[in-house]
Amino acid sequence: MASTQVETGAAGHGAEPRGKRSDDGQATYLIAIAEALWEEMERDERVFMLGEDIGVYGGAFKVTEGFMDRFGPDRVIDTPIAEETIVGMAVGAAMEGYRPVAEFQYADFMSSGFDEITTVLSRYHYRSGVRLPVVLRGPSGGGVRASNFHSVNPEPWFAYTGGLKIICPAFPSDAKGLLKSAVRDDNPCMFLEHKALYRRIKEQVPEDPSVLVPIGAADVKRPGDDVTIVTYGAMVHKALEAAESLAARGVSVEVVDLRTVYPLDEDAVIRSIEKTSRALVLYESFHFLGIGAEVASVIAERAFEHLDAPVMRLAPPNHPVPFSPPLEDAFLPQVADIEAAVDRLSAW
Amino acid sequence: MATTVRSDAAANDRPLPDDQLRQMLATMKLARYVDERLEALYRQGRLPGAIYSGRGQEGTHVGVVSPLRASDSLFPTHRDLTAQLAKGLDLNRVLAQFWGRIDGYLRGRDGNSHIGDWAGSRTYAVMSHLPIAYPVAVGAAWAYQRAGDGRVALAICGDGATSNGRWHEAINWSAVQRLPVVWVVNNNQFAYSTPNEKEFAIPTIAERGAAYGIPGVRVDGADVLEVFGAARDAVERARSGGGPTLIESVSLRWRGHAGHDPAKYVPTELLEHYVASKDPVKNFERHLVELGIVDDDMLASMQADIERRFEEAHAFALDSPFPEPGDVDKGVWVEDGYWRSEPGRSGGTGAG
Repeated sequence: MASTQVETGAAGHGAEPRGKRSDDGQATYLIAIAEALWEEMERDERVFMLGEDIGVYGGAFKVTEGFMDRFGPDRVIDTPIAEETIVGMAVGAAMEGYRPVAEFQYADFMSSGFDEITTVLSRYHYRSGVRLPVVLRGPSGGGVRASNFHSVNPEPWFAYTGGLKIICPAFPSDAKGLLKSAVRDDNPCMFLEHKALYRRIKEQVPEDPSVLVPIGAADVKRPGDDVTIVTYGAMVHKALEAAESLAARGVSVEVVDLRTVYPLDEDAVIRSIEKTSRALVLYESFHFLGIGAEVASVIAERAFEHLDAPVMRLAPPNHPVPFSPPLEDAFLPQVADIEAAVDRLSAW
Repeated sequence: MATTVRSDAAANDRPLPDDQLRQMLATMKLARYVDERLEALYRQGRLPGAIYSGRGQEGTHVGVVSPLRASDSLFPTHRDLTAQLAKGLDLNRVLAQFWGRIDGYLRGRDGNSHIGDWAGSRTYAVMSHLPIAYPVAVGAAWAYQRAGDGRVALAICGDGATSNGRWHEAINWSAVQRLPVVWVVNNNQFAYSTPNEKEFAIPTIAERGAAYGIPGVRVDGADVLEVFGAARDAVERARSGGGPTLIESVSLRWRGHAGHDPAKYVPTELLEHYVASKDPVKNFERHLVELGIVDDDMLASMQADIERRFEEAHAFALDSPFPEPGDVDKGVWVEDGYWRSEPGRSGGTGAG
């Protein structure tokens, strides 16, 4: 599985054309997501999509370009700017047997639908047994100079509800297989697409529409012996870059990609710690109460006997994502920060 | 189209066959009795949890639900237990919910009037945030429009909930898409302690329909047939593709917001006036007596039946087991199968 830097760029505004697979059959992270949606829409008539500007415009990031022509405006619905009702509408439709996929133009706007997500969507099955096969999806994460309101990592807000499966893929194949699994899952799922990866990462992606990736299973993206980095999303790529650099200095890093942040694949994390005895939890949600805070607790509770050093965390501080490039770069963990953390762990 | 219209159903004092009118009265009298008995039990410390009385609003609740078919859906709030009984909820299982027993509709996962029966009577399980079910009704209505099956969604909220952003989002969206939904506001004039004049600056809620491009109708909640007439028109409009209607049914909240609330902020004269001359149950009973549709014997038998049903339901509830504590973590995800199995007594829910 190779990752290639395809292009750098800004937040993705503007009418970039939806790409195709490259001549050698590789798909970008964005195209892999579009393929997943297209295949699931073709497979099951009950699947439909709703969101702002997804139909006529093809979506702010062009994920859904071409969908309305193919599937029609009653299955690719342009909504008013009303996030509570985007979610509520998806819930009501799901209660009547449909399988909605609701797009949020930016994951930041999921908080505009907070009540319907946390009060209704995530709790309804526990209280009543009514199934809500709803997928909420949208572009999350920073590092693209999109500033306060277009860079959020909302997964901690919504992991706290306990009734939403939350998926944060780092690679195109994982993105495609996991989104397909989410659409087919009878539980509510939140699928967070890291926008920095949309067009920057491409790889060979399965063409067979029956290929799925299981929700709730982590994946070792790079085996190693000395230190474990547990991570997800765009940070996986920084971890891999750091690991490559550290290998040249004789430090063997194992990178565990969580892929799903709720429910957590605790066993996979613990297996890795049992092997390496040193853990760095690297995450883009805030240091305080972000996903890695839970992972670190789990490691401390379950792998104490195996640890040779304290569990270390590396994540941004608990405040808004700034705009100015040197500010944002200081805000986010960088490859150099990861290497320094691994060095400190190794020296313990 | 988008003006406040007073329904002329008041002129039609016999809009249904006699047996259906009798059934409406029986439902209203049952709901009234249930409300009074639950309050009594609550005050005696024999009812766990809270009560949210709908007394005095039976005209609204039974009036708007009566035109619905079994396959239509209802999106109520905590105060609309009467509407849920009218829609078809089983009193046994309702009381089991109040007492937190396994045979309650929500198996103890929620209590009192935070209840619903989607699999059976097509009612949404009430949530406290207001009006959180309005956006969900949009989704159900969209599904009916998409299927073209003529089904209708009907949502109820209170006067206070109309200040909330969700109320506006949902109604606006339903108008844009011309969805088969009826939006009912139970204006009982007080949202907890907050009177209408502190909730909105316009004289009526019904005239807000114009802001969304839909008809708005204001009816007297003390007259169940007036409410019924407006609701029937709205349901038929929705069913035939004419889009949403906003119905404001005006009554008074006779009791506090909840059982603990003495509601001293409700002017005494106002309450006395409503109890004396705007009691929807008494009014409808008198109306049916005048038309010869019920007589004293029928009323006595109706009351005896109601009291017997309550006693049976109360005994059923107290006899139903509590849920297993070990099951507390089950049922979050579909795959653990908790909701697919019956709880061991008759009347368990299946998956929705």
